[in-house]
Amino acid sequence: MPEDTKKILKDFIRDSFLPFAEENPFEDEDSFMEKGMINSTGVLELLQFIEETFEITVEDEEVIPDNLDSLNKLVSFVERKTNA
Amino acid sequence: MLKNVLTLDCKQQAERICSFIRRQTQALKREGAVVGLSGGVDSALIAALCVEALGKDRVLGLILPEKESSPDSCKFAEKHALKLDINTETVEITSPLEAFGTYKKRDEIIKQFFPEYNKDYKIKIVLPPDLLGQDAFNLFRLITKDGKGNIRSVRLNKAALNGIVAATNTKQRMRMLHLYFYAEKKNYLVGGTTNKSENMQGFFVKYGDGGVDIEPIAHLFKTQVYQLAEYMGVIREIIERKPSPDTYSLPVDDEEFFFRMPFDTLDLLLYAWENKLPLADICAVMELSEEQVKRAFRDFTAKSNASRHARKMPPTLEAENGK
Repeated sequence: MPEDTKKILKDFIRDSFLPFAEENPFEDEDSFMEKGMINSTGVLELLQFIEETFEITVEDEEVIPDNLDSLNKLVSFVERKTNA
Repeated sequence: MLKNVLTLDCKQQAERICSFIRRQTQALKREGAVVGLSGGVDSALIAALCVEALGKDRVLGLILPEKESSPDSCKFAEKHALKLDINTETVEITSPLEAFGTYKKRDEIIKQFFPEYNKDYKIKIVLPPDLLGQDAFNLFRLITKDGKGNIRSVRLNKAALNGIVAATNTKQRMRMLHLYFYAEKKNYLVGGTTNKSENMQGFFVKYGDGGVDIEPIAHLFKTQVYQLAEYMGVIREIIERKPSPDTYSLPVDDEEFFFRMPFDTLDLLLYAWENKLPLADICAVMELSEEQVKRAFRDFTAKSNASRHARKMPPTLEAENGK
């Protein structure tokens, strides 16, 4: 499950936010915001994707960088939510 | 020192800008200036500066309300124009916006979230408040108020946000069409009203309020615009009014719509960010933590990057190749 989650999220982020980039355009720890990968519409796109794909509900209070602003943070967050 | 760094020598600044306006009018071979008077402080200041630079008979104030504009906008714009003793034209742009489908296209999106939405509703979109107080992404919510005063809100999705913004931006673009119609008819230039706080972060509409011939206050932060507005005698009502894009039917101010902090804090942080001041100095002077300052800088970087294209001419192959 963790590897699947990570791959699904990594593929989504690469395809959605860096569609013309080379093979490994970001590291697992990289901040999406600091790398300029995600903007206000990107956040909404990401939320919609994880809510639909993992059948979870993300509250506004949870939409913070600590939960979403790197691949590793995102994977941890989704795993916490799906296991809750 | 940082606290006072944005204090202007207003006399010197006004002379500098007026000289710029005169030089540009001459260089573009224009005979005057058209200014869209929104009822806000930036356009009121530009009109006053144009009058000082070119004379009142060479300035036309255009007042371009639509059905969702605040009634105060028109009233204050007219009062300021009267004080400046300039000619004005008022053109209601609701009909051309309706012909384009501005309201219909936007309302169809809102009905996806609130099927009962009707003409009695008022709406706005906002970001989470107080970026310095609490870290949060720039997450847009749609706020509605029905005819009975009930307020509801919903988080938007990407398609809905883009659709609402695209529809709403036609208001600024419709105004640009009108400004250029009058400008070309009279051989005037269009005076831009974007200030530095807005310009750095992309708080303007490309080919809307960003579609102008000159930008006389693009080097002034918003707090400096207020200083100069006082000096140039902009009317009290405009100076005391909360700045707003005035494009949604519910009142929304610039802070809740885009900036997420008050202008006095914002401008100092923007200055510090632009000039790469030492983090420790910024924290000490502004009484903010390193985390707060970094959070603000991250937001500035994101907004600046996202709007870079809007500040530039469209790329060409020759420019890309350095020719």
